[in-house]
Amino acid sequence: MKFLVVDDSATMRRIVINSLQRIGFSDTVEASDGQEALAKFDSSVQFVITDWNMPNMSGTEFTKVLRSRPDGANVPVLMVTARSVKEDILTAMEAGVNNYIVKPFTPQVLKEKIDALLPAAAA
Amino acid sequence: MTPNTRAQEVLYESEAALRLVDHEIHDLRGAAQPEPRYLSVSLGDLPHILERANQQILNVLAHLRETRTALQSTAFEKLQATHDKIREVTSATEDAAINIMDACDRANNMVDELDAIDSAETPDRAQATAVRANLRDEIFLMMGALQFQDITSQQLSHASAVLIEMETRLIEVAKLFDSNIALEQSVSHIAVAPSAQTYDPNATVKNAEGRQALADEIFTTVKAPAA
Repeated sequence: MKFLVVDDSATMRRIVINSLQRIGFSDTVEASDGQEALAKFDSSVQFVITDWNMPNMSGTEFTKVLRSRPDGANVPVLMVTARSVKEDILTAMEAGVNNYIVKPFTPQVLKEKIDALLPAAAA
Repeated sequence: MTPNTRAQEVLYESEAALRLVDHEIHDLRGAAQPEPRYLSVSLGDLPHILERANQQILNVLAHLRETRTALQSTAFEKLQATHDKIREVTSATEDAAINIMDACDRANNMVDELDAIDSAETPDRAQATAVRANLRDEIFLMMGALQFQDITSQQLSHASAVLIEMETRLIEVAKLFDSNIALEQSVSHIAVAPSAQTYDPNATVKNAEGRQALADEIFTTVKAPAA
């Protein structure tokens, strides 16, 4: 399964990618903002993990655009962000995010959320 | 009222007060140094002129006091919040360093355990496998602890943006006194404030479990979009 990991922090991208590798997912592609993520997204990507606050295009903007594309309408999107007030979480949900992880996260939380969305990713 | 709106009002009030000062000083200068055609004003008018001047000065001082109080209040709130953020950066950095050092200590002990297993006449391979798995967990934990870098980076971006904004506002006030003020050395002249899109002003390492529980509750009670 191919994951697209979107975060402007290189440290966070490495942490997420290492976490993915640890739970058995080694096929990953990286992007540092929403614009780059849109350019790198294609039908081979089956799962998206994105940050919210990024230059050029935020994670919510990216998700909205992705949802408008035929090849991105149904791909699972997991948001991993420091934002954690209720309004933000609802905004992410409205943008089309399927689940939400608050930074700093534990590997267990990441695994739980990915496991919950895997059936949709595999469909 | 948002901090931005309040700051704008403070700036507006400051400018209004300073314009009033300028206006009154101009008037007083006219009263104190009458042009020749006014020299016929009698000494009997002097108490009235002085009384008027006194009242005008009192008005100006009252405006300046109000402006100063508002400026102090706004600056204090913003600087206090920024100070708290910077303290949290220090604390988060120290916590992460301690977590990583603890994990290093445990990892070192595990390496010693593996050495002991290897040096035994009949090495216990099953035990070695278990120790190696624990060792990987510790290394993984160290990596996870580095998430503080992303959070503190956002906190520092916020602090930087607040300080640049404060400096910009102070320069605006200073320009009211001297429009030729040199700005070459100001931070806002040589640095660009971090884009608000790139950081969360509320970013924190605190209470991650509680905040995750809130997100989970919302995603459970409000129907999330189907993947």
